[in-house]
Amino acid sequence: MMGPRIRANRYSVMTLEWPKESTPIAQWLKEQRDKAPVLMREMAIVLRPSSEHEALEIQAAVEALAQLDISLMGLTGDHQHRAVADQMGLAWLSPTNVTAEPELSQEVVGAQGVEKALVIEGPIRSGVQVYAQDRDLIVIGQVSEGAEIMADGNVHVYGRCRGRVAAGVGGQEHAQIFCLTFEPELVSLAGTYCGSDQIPEDLWSARVRVGFDKSSKRLTFALMR
Amino acid sequence: MATVVTVTSGKGGVGKTTTSAAVAAGLAQLGHRTVVIDFDVGLRNLDLIMGVERRVVFDFVNVISGEATLNQALIQDKRLENLSVLAASQTKDKDALTEEGVGQVLSQLAEMGFEYIVCDSPAGIERGATMALYFADHAVIVTNPEVSSVRDSDRILGILQSKSKRAKEGGKVYEHLLITRYDPVRVENGEMLSKDDVCDILAVKLIGVIPESRAVLKASNTGVPVILDDNSDAGLAYSDAVCRFLGEDRPMRFVTPKKQGLFSRILGGGD
Repeated sequence: MMGPRIRANRYSVMTLEWPKESTPIAQWLKEQRDKAPVLMREMAIVLRPSSEHEALEIQAAVEALAQLDISLMGLTGDHQHRAVADQMGLAWLSPTNVTAEPELSQEVVGAQGVEKALVIEGPIRSGVQVYAQDRDLIVIGQVSEGAEIMADGNVHVYGRCRGRVAAGVGGQEHAQIFCLTFEPELVSLAGTYCGSDQIPEDLWSARVRVGFDKSSKRLTFALMR
Repeated sequence: MATVVTVTSGKGGVGKTTTSAAVAAGLAQLGHRTVVIDFDVGLRNLDLIMGVERRVVFDFVNVISGEATLNQALIQDKRLENLSVLAASQTKDKDALTEEGVGQVLSQLAEMGFEYIVCDSPAGIERGATMALYFADHAVIVTNPEVSSVRDSDRILGILQSKSKRAKEGGKVYEHLLITRYDPVRVENGEMLSKDDVCDILAVKLIGVIPESRAVLKASNTGVPVILDDNSDAGLAYSDAVCRFLGEDRPMRFVTPKKQGLFSRILGGGD
């Protein structure tokens, strides 16, 4: 039997940025909740007040969040607010080791959909990163070893693909990767990845399509004829 | 209008300075007024390769900071009347290079009637290298037939097409690939990447393959650009490369192993 253990896991958490001079927070949150009630209820949130906010104001905001059924995990931001977090029994998230994700735009909250694809004429060189947010990525030309190409949608490479390729980076399990000459360092779909040593040898340098099998949670590789 | 040609590679020790000296001398030999600039501020070498180390009074950084005029700092080559050298400073560091200062020097050189400005880039991808490639119209990417050098070249190509002035203005820098230290015997034995392997990885037009040669070290030590040595494979290969750079079509030489005679095979000679 397995005993308890502590593991490092990463979760996607939204940060609520709260500048000093802005719409009253309770009112703004109510508007947001009315726009996307389910999303707001399921969202785990960390509040980042500005450094000018007083402890009392923060306490009021925390109460407003609770009234709206929004699950607040903790506070972040200026270190002087740490005492407020301790006082209210909230977690304190140090702002120093945060990796910022692209901002969640209004359009995404409203309607999730894949826009037109981002089309790039290669070659994409070593050290270059390309990310197609909320859309497909099409690369015409080669992707060099050491380059990273990513998309929330599908990734198509019309050329030799030697770099790192990730599709469905926002967790879209239907996303796929298509390569004309498949020689990647790494492929990833919806967070599941495979190094080049795990790729079936007979598909190396071939025309390959990579998909994600939801039942086994594994990547599938298929030859395109 | 002067054409700015940057010689770069990412990796150190692959032959950028040797190539800069050879390309500049080759262009001058063909009648083009050419100046070659050392961008390796703090680690200046080009003056040695060009054999002008005793004539450096003022340098590139002196000109940028206004301590000397361009005319005072330019060193006229004694062998080729069309060729001038602008040495780097040995005492300063790369921070002395500013975009504005470099741009001013380059436009002044163009006004003086130079047709080609060859920039010898330092290794790495930091300030010195990015300054050397910022104003490039053409780039000569120097690569050894070896995986790490090829990868670094790929990286510098990416930087070239994103951080150069031309790239920022929506254009493209012309890319030319030059493979140096090529040993056809080792390629045949599978110990070295072939020129086709390198071209396949980098997907850049190849303008020359310079064979590994004793003449290169000898030329460096005596301060004579190797292209002026008509008796060496490397010198001839550089001449071909310069002609290809200018658009001429020439067959590749020195890319297959030399046929060894019976005597040298018995005596184990050759190198």
